[in-house]
Amino acid sequence: MSSISELYDVSWEEMRDKLRKWREENYRNSEQIVDVGEELINEHASKLGDDIWIIYEQVMIAALDCSRDDLAWSCLQELKRQFPDSHRVKRLAGMRLEALERYEDANKLYDSILQDDPTNTAARKRKISILRAQGKSSEAIRELNEYLEQFVGDQEAWHELSELYINEHDYAKAAFCLEELMMTNPHNHLYCEQYAEVKYTQGGLENLELARKYFAQALKLNNRNMRALFGLYMGLFATSHQPYTPQNPEAQGFAARNRDEVDCVQLKFQHIHGEGLSC
Amino acid sequence: MAHLLLDSSIRLWVVLPIVFITFIVGVLRHYVTQLLHNEKKVDLQQVSDSQVLLRSRILRENGKYLPKQSFAMRKHYFNNPETGFFKKVKRKVIPKNPMTDTSMLTDMMKGNLTNVLPMILIGGWINWAFSGFVTTKVPFPLTLRFKPMLQRGIELLSLDASWVSSASWYFLNVFGLRSMYTLILGQDNAADQSRIMQDQMTGAAMAMPPDPNKAFKSEWEALEIVEHRWALENVEEELMCQDLNFRGLFS
Repeated sequence: MSSISELYDVSWEEMRDKLRKWREENYRNSEQIVDVGEELINEHASKLGDDIWIIYEQVMIAALDCSRDDLAWSCLQELKRQFPDSHRVKRLAGMRLEALERYEDANKLYDSILQDDPTNTAARKRKISILRAQGKSSEAIRELNEYLEQFVGDQEAWHELSELYINEHDYAKAAFCLEELMMTNPHNHLYCEQYAEVKYTQGGLENLELARKYFAQALKLNNRNMRALFGLYMGLFATSHQPYTPQNPEAQGFAARNRDEVDCVQLKFQHIHGEGLSC
Repeated sequence: MAHLLLDSSIRLWVVLPIVFITFIVGVLRHYVTQLLHNEKKVDLQQVSDSQVLLRSRILRENGKYLPKQSFAMRKHYFNNPETGFFKKVKRKVIPKNPMTDTSMLTDMMKGNLTNVLPMILIGGWINWAFSGFVTTKVPFPLTLRFKPMLQRGIELLSLDASWVSSASWYFLNVFGLRSMYTLILGQDNAADQSRIMQDQMTGAAMAMPPDPNKAFKSEWEALEIVEHRWALENVEEELMCQDLNFRGLFS
């Protein structure tokens, strides 16, 4: 089995930089990380210097993903030897226990971290993911709510909560979580689009109109977002077919404008669709 | 203005050594501070409060991207006269007396030891060792008021105030080498004295100002006056007007 450096003709510095890029941009390509990282650790450990510890951490998490328990165990041993009392390393040990499905032991470990340091967010989040892994979604939701009451700024947690609510079909609460995310990241088109999708799923004229507006906003932020374009199209289509009541006098003009907009979007859609098919 | 020609050995044996000494002492101070540094215990309550304040501020700034209903709901959560967060939550504030609170006392002592003491010692030594002659000239004219301060060992009435002694060169160095420290020790280094003085005034985002109640009150006021102007009012029309530039998408 030839090594990565021979296969792709890269030097160890390039491999290290690639790992750093994956780490900073939060990629989850675990198989690649394991391949590249394993080779770096085995062949070039001395040249890496102090970088090696964070590479150990990155490779360990990727190894847990690929169920490479041997690699994970060796990385953990190295880290434990270097940082004997570290909460961060303890959390990694807990993650390994989770991967082996020893949830009770993992829970005990996280509780001990939290006793030491009540503000440690990583341990709390791991406990919640244990609940999620065990399928206890209502408890996970409850714990996550409590966590968010104390740490209101944690965006990862808000996103996780919105996913949990969507799985439970509680769209109103999911919309609330996504609103938090939109508030903190107003220029992120993905949050706008997800929010619009949730509103669209909720249904009803008001929600459909909101959905349309947010799909349009997502398109404005990034005009390559096909999902938003499709969502906008569906939203326009849906609202143009809603029966309008006499209490809503502007709905007539609205419907007419909707029809125009539907045609407009349809044209644009066919345009891309055509272009998409041709290439 | 007097044109004085200074002996070049002054440059070699006074100016450069003082720069060198100041720099080395600064670096040493940095490492000593790191050794004596102990972990600041962060209180859960404080972290939580600081995040809540951050959220309220973001609501004020970016609330216009939320639908009216959501914004009103959040504003209500914070500002409602009976059940609003800022109205209801009163934190027990124990005024931290610097004299009796042990952790703050040791922190203060350590700060004094590592920063003020070396400065006094070295300043005094330089004053003693390099006194009696003029070291350098500042490039801008100074008034006579500065003479006794900057020309410590030199008792000449007719000498321009721009010519300064070595003690003032030392102090110039202490503040001037700040950017050098940033270059070599990276940001956030302990050798940076002026930053330490600044630290006592501004607070970081993690640590709360000593009185959260005041912060809550000011945040409440700020949130009261904000009104919701929905940014997405005409977004669809705007979108239709502009060309969506799909041409190059799949090429």
